[in-house]
Amino acid sequence: MKPYLSMFLMSARRTFAYRLSALIGWLGGGAILISSLSVWHALLGEGAIAGYDWPMMKAYLVVAWAAGSIGASQGDWRMADRIREGHVATDLTKPVDYQGSRFAEHAGGLATEIPAILIAASAVIAFTGSIPGPANVFLFLLSFACVVPLKFCFTYLTAMLCFWTHNFMGISWAKDAIIWLFSGGLIPLSMLPVWLSVPASLLPFAGITATPAALYLGQATGAEAARLLGLQVFWVLALWFGARLLWRGALRALTVHGG
Amino acid sequence: MGLVKAQSLTKVFRRPQKGPGLRGSVKHLFQRRFKDVPAVNGIDVSIEAGEAVAYVGPNGAGKSTTIKLLCGILVPTSGSVEVAGVTPHVDRIANARNIGVLFGQRSQLWWDLPVRESLGLLRDMYDLPKGFYQQRIERLDEVLGIGELMPVLARKLSLGQRMRADLAAALLHQPRIVYLDEPTIGLDIAVKDKVRKFLRELRADGTTLMLTTHDLGDIEDVCERIIIIDEGRKIFDGPLAQMKDSFARTRRMHLHITDGTPMDVIAKHLSTADVSGEGSEVTIAFDRFAHTAGQIIAAVLQVAEVGEFHLDEPAIEDVVRKVYAGELLV
Ligand SMILES: Nc1ncnc2c1ncn2[C@@H]1O[C@H](COP(=O)(O)OP(=O)(O)OP(=O)(O)O)[C@@H](O)[C@H]1O
Ligand SMILES: [Mg+2]
Repeated sequence: MKPYLSMFLMSARRTFAYRLSALIGWLGGGAILISSLSVWHALLGEGAIAGYDWPMMKAYLVVAWAAGSIGASQGDWRMADRIREGHVATDLTKPVDYQGSRFAEHAGGLATEIPAILIAASAVIAFTGSIPGPANVFLFLLSFACVVPLKFCFTYLTAMLCFWTHNFMGISWAKDAIIWLFSGGLIPLSMLPVWLSVPASLLPFAGITATPAALYLGQATGAEAARLLGLQVFWVLALWFGARLLWRGALRALTVHGG
Repeated sequence: MGLVKAQSLTKVFRRPQKGPGLRGSVKHLFQRRFKDVPAVNGIDVSIEAGEAVAYVGPNGAGKSTTIKLLCGILVPTSGSVEVAGVTPHVDRIANARNIGVLFGQRSQLWWDLPVRESLGLLRDMYDLPKGFYQQRIERLDEVLGIGELMPVLARKLSLGQRMRADLAAALLHQPRIVYLDEPTIGLDIAVKDKVRKFLRELRADGTTLMLTTHDLGDIEDVCERIIIIDEGRKIFDGPLAQMKDSFARTRRMHLHITDGTPMDVIAKHLSTADVSGEGSEVTIAFDRFAHTAGQIIAAVLQVAEVGEFHLDEPAIEDVVRKVYAGELLV
């Protein structure tokens, strides 16, 4: 565990080395939160859409934004560049697991992401009035914790595509767009047409926003909450071990770039 | 029993045959064509504990690929590898504990953090006891002067400083087996000397060393055995001295003739040597096993007056250059 903890802390320190660019990133993120809040405020008025009134929607948007911020400070390119520039070679000469190391590094971003989320939530409460608290704090935190490995797996799998393709930017954007839509980051899944919302609720993306939001808002309780959490955990494990298998295959079939 | 053993080691890369531009890329999606590039082609190597081996060859010969195979980074297409009883690509992590690796062209330091932090992380990765770590840092400071680099951000290091810090990082855990892929690339003479001195000490400590380089000075300074590869095949493997004996037989003597004796008179007199030159400057190339330098000078003195003269010793450079140029087939 020690090497991974050490890597986690190193990565956290590195995030602080880029204070300015991190600040700019968070300002941009804040602007997105403000604009989605104003759009929904205008749409909802005093009424409700698909069961969401204004206070509920506020809570949803904050949870969605928080989930979106997880991993955001690390940037997909960091992992992709390791492969593109051949740093993998040096990484693999170390007596540590590659995927575990990348996870520790990715998680290091939490050091700035968590404070940013807390600041944003406080600001929303300060400026727009209180938002409903989590229906079940424990279940919500459990579910939200799963967002960290889930988002890591998507980034890791996407970065792995660099073994095959040179156009990483395009793939990374496509990945973000898919996650945005299918996780419920764009709008709650229940507002999508049925032919989209049903498959989306079963796919791993739902675990990134829809599941923690449903547990926060108390839309799922009891057996339904357990089912959602179980599905989320299932996807974490499936993606984690799937990525491992794929990585092994990639190394065997493909190669490490550069002299 | 070799400590590092490779048998019929082969790595074939599949290189996509892709046309230029977007059109080529799209076409490639549907009509996948590949060309097989054998980067390492049936190499047999056995290195004993404590040996220092130079691994040389022209660009693209397959040196780095061999090192990556020995580290377990790449999986061989065929053949076998065993390093200290471990098959690297099967048990990469166990192998990683035995080896230290430097890829001179890239750094393993964390770019945005002080050097100290990168070394601290390695201490945790290899689980080094505190006292041992302290002692290693002191030792590495003595020979590489890394003490002054510890608080510096890695991205602010000069190339030479970076290489010193990277060497320290590769050797921190005192590995038994060390692979260095171009450890002196881009360094100035002073830093090169420092690195070479360090490598000699490493050898004296009993470390098994494999070194790839294009700088032949590194080899003569550090290694007693040389392996030459070209296009993925081994073309020479033996003691450095033997290589010089077999391939670097020619010595050159440069003379300044003071009495105006024409060159062809000397050439006629020395029928078994090759005489060339211009005016009073004459160069005589001769087989060092057929003649001694003394015999040559004595013979010249019979027909001409000699002022200054000096002798070029055969350099492995000549041999390797010939091999690179395809003039020498072993
Ligand atoms: N990832 C890869 N994919 C395809 N071909 C590769 C790959 N890596 C290396 N090669 C090819 O394998 C051959 C050997 O490369 P290698 O890097 O081992 O050479 P080298 O001896 O280290 O050369 P240099 O002195 O230039 O560093 C070259 O022809 C190279 O183009
Ligand atoms: Mg190379």
